[in-house]
Amino acid sequence: MKILVTVKEVAEAEDDFDIDGLDIDERYLEFDLNEWDEYAIEEAVQIKEDGDDVEVVSVTIGPERAEETIRMGLAKGVDRAIRVWDDAFADVGMLDPKTKADVLSAVVEDEQPDLVLTGVQAGDDSFGATGVTLAETIDFEWGAVVNALDLDAGAGVASVHRELEGGIEELTDIELPAVLTIQTGINEPRYASLRGIRQAQSKPLDLHELDDLGLEESDLESPLSRTAMYEPESEGDATVFEGSAEETATELASLLRDVGVVEG
Amino acid sequence: MLDYLDLDAELTDEERLVRDTAREFVQNELADSIGTHWIDGTFPTELIPEMGELGFYAPNLSGYGLPGVSETAYGLLMAELEACDSGLRSMASVQGALVMYPIHAFGSAAQKDEWLERLGTGEAVGCFGLTEPEHGSNPSGMATRARPDGDGYVLSGTKTWITNAPIADMAIVWARVGDDGPVRGFLVETDRDGVSTPKLTEKLSLRASITGEIGLRDVFVPEENVLPNVEGMKGPLSCLTQARYGIAWGAVGAARDCFETARQYALDREQFGGPIARFQLQQEKLAEMATQISLAQLLAHRLAELKERDALRSQHVSMAKRNNVAMAREQSRVAREMLGGNGITADYSPMRHLTNMETVYTYEGTHDIHSLILGQDLTGIAAFE
Repeated sequence: MKILVTVKEVAEAEDDFDIDGLDIDERYLEFDLNEWDEYAIEEAVQIKEDGDDVEVVSVTIGPERAEETIRMGLAKGVDRAIRVWDDAFADVGMLDPKTKADVLSAVVEDEQPDLVLTGVQAGDDSFGATGVTLAETIDFEWGAVVNALDLDAGAGVASVHRELEGGIEELTDIELPAVLTIQTGINEPRYASLRGIRQAQSKPLDLHELDDLGLEESDLESPLSRTAMYEPESEGDATVFEGSAEETATELASLLRDVGVVEG
Repeated sequence: MLDYLDLDAELTDEERLVRDTAREFVQNELADSIGTHWIDGTFPTELIPEMGELGFYAPNLSGYGLPGVSETAYGLLMAELEACDSGLRSMASVQGALVMYPIHAFGSAAQKDEWLERLGTGEAVGCFGLTEPEHGSNPSGMATRARPDGDGYVLSGTKTWITNAPIADMAIVWARVGDDGPVRGFLVETDRDGVSTPKLTEKLSLRASITGEIGLRDVFVPEENVLPNVEGMKGPLSCLTQARYGIAWGAVGAARDCFETARQYALDREQFGGPIARFQLQQEKLAEMATQISLAQLLAHRLAELKERDALRSQHVSMAKRNNVAMAREQSRVAREMLGGNGITADYSPMRHLTNMETVYTYEGTHDIHSLILGQDLTGIAAFE
C-alpha cells in the first residue's frame, strides 16, 4: 500500500510586520511545516507502523528552502519525498487550488497511491480546497475534515469521522483510492527524534520539474491573482463607562438599545 | 531568537532540525510548568524516557542506537535545554557526558551491552560520583576507597552533590584502589547492599533538578564492574571535559532566554507614556547583553569546530565554561533588573536562570579553578600544586 501525503511549507508572520507590495515583507516571515500537514504525516506514519508493507511518500510544491521542512517529515517517518519546483512557479506567484491540484495530479499519476492525505487547509492562504479539488481532478473518492480514521486496507475501505458544524460528527465509509483532508487533533504528532533526523539525511528527496511531470508553463496559469495586501484598519472604538454600577448599567442599556441589540 | 551574527547560516539542515526539535519539545512540554517545578523543587521525571526516545542523551556518540550527530548539533541541543532550565540540561549532561561517555570510552563490551542502550532510551538513569564532602576542587584527594576482595572490590566512602543520585539505577563511582593505588571507575548498581542515595533538599539554586549523595558502606562490586580501560584522574577529568563542553553551550541558551524575555518586556512595558525600550539606559543594557551573548556563541561554535577535528584541549573547554557561565550569570542579573519587580517572580525566567547560574558557576570546576587551569596553561606554573 502506498500513501501520498501533500505537505506545504507555510509562511508565518511575526506580530509586527511590514507589507511589501502584494506580500508581507519576507524579513517578517518564518517558514514552517503547515500545522494540518503535520497531522496528516503522523496519520500516514501510524498507518505504516500498524500495517505491513506500507510506503509513505510526501509531495511538496515549493522552492529549495522548503527542503528543511520536507526533511522534518522524513525525520518523522516519511519514507521518501518529492519536491516539485520549476522557475516557472516563482514567476507565477500565487497558485490557486485547481492549479495546485493539476500539478499534484501529475504526481499521483506517477506514484499511483492508494490513499492521499492532505491537511484540511494551509495556515497561510487558508484556501482549504486543494485536497478535494485534487480528488475531483484524479477521480478519487474523498472525505473532508477527517478527525478520526480507521483503515481496512484489505477491504479497501476507510471509515472516517468528519467534523461538521455544531459539534456534529458524520461517520462515512469511503472506498479507496481516496483523498482525505486531515483535521488537527486526529492524533498527536510526534517529535522528530535525533535518530530520525539523522536517517532523514539519507532518505530520497527527489526534485521534479514541470518537464518531468509532463506539464508546461501554461498549466500554471491561474485564474486567481492577488490584487492588494493591506492591514485592515482597526476600528478600536471601545467605550469605557465610568461611575457607579447604576449609572454605568443605565448607560450600557441605552447603548445596547441604540445599536439595536435589544428592543424597546 | 537572538542570532545577531547569523551563525544559523553556518548550520547544516540536520543541525537546524535538531535545534528546532529541541526547541519545540521544550516549548510544548515544559514552558508552562518549569517555573512550578523550580518552586516545588521537582524534576519532570516523566520526561526522562521521552527525552531518551528523542535521543537527547549522548547523541554525539555512535553505536548502541545512538544517533552520532555533530558536536554542533549536540551543543545546540544543550543550549535549547538550558534555555528552558539548567536542571533540564544538567539531566542530559549527566546522563550523556558523565555516565554514557565513560562507558562508551572506557567500558568493556559487556558493560556497553548492558548499559548504553538502556541509558540512551532513558529506561535507566545514571549518576556520576566524584565529588566528596571534603574533596571538591581537589578530587584526587578523595577518601573513597576500593579494597580488593576476592573477585572484586569493597567500596566505602561518601559522594555528594550528585545530580540524579536519588533516582539513579546505577552510579559511576570513582574510588582510589587501596590507599596508594590509582583512581578507578566502578559501575555500581544502586540496589547493591550498602548503597544509599539520600536527597539533598533546601537548595536555593538548580531547584528543578534532583541532587543527592551516594553513601557507600562496604559495597561489594565484582571485577567486571570496573571500567577496564582507564586508570587515574584522567578518567573522571575526561568525562568532565565532555560535560563542560555542553555547559559552555548551555549557558548561552540560558542567557539568550534572559535576553529575549528582557527585550520583550522592555517593548511591552509602558512607563512615562511609552515602552521603556525607548530609554537609553535600557537600550545600553540590551546592546551589552546581545554583544556578550554573541561573543559566547562564537566561543561555543569555535569549540565545536575544534572538537569535531579532535583538536580540542581541556583548557579550551575551561576557557569557554568559565567565560560563558560568568556571562550568563551576569546577564541574567541584568535581565532580572530590567523586569523591575516582575523580575523577582517565577512568572518570568531571568531570576530562575540567575539562581541556577550560581550552581553552574561553581559546579564542574568552579570559575576560579578554571582561572587557575588557564593560568597554568599560560605560564607553565600550577598555582594549585
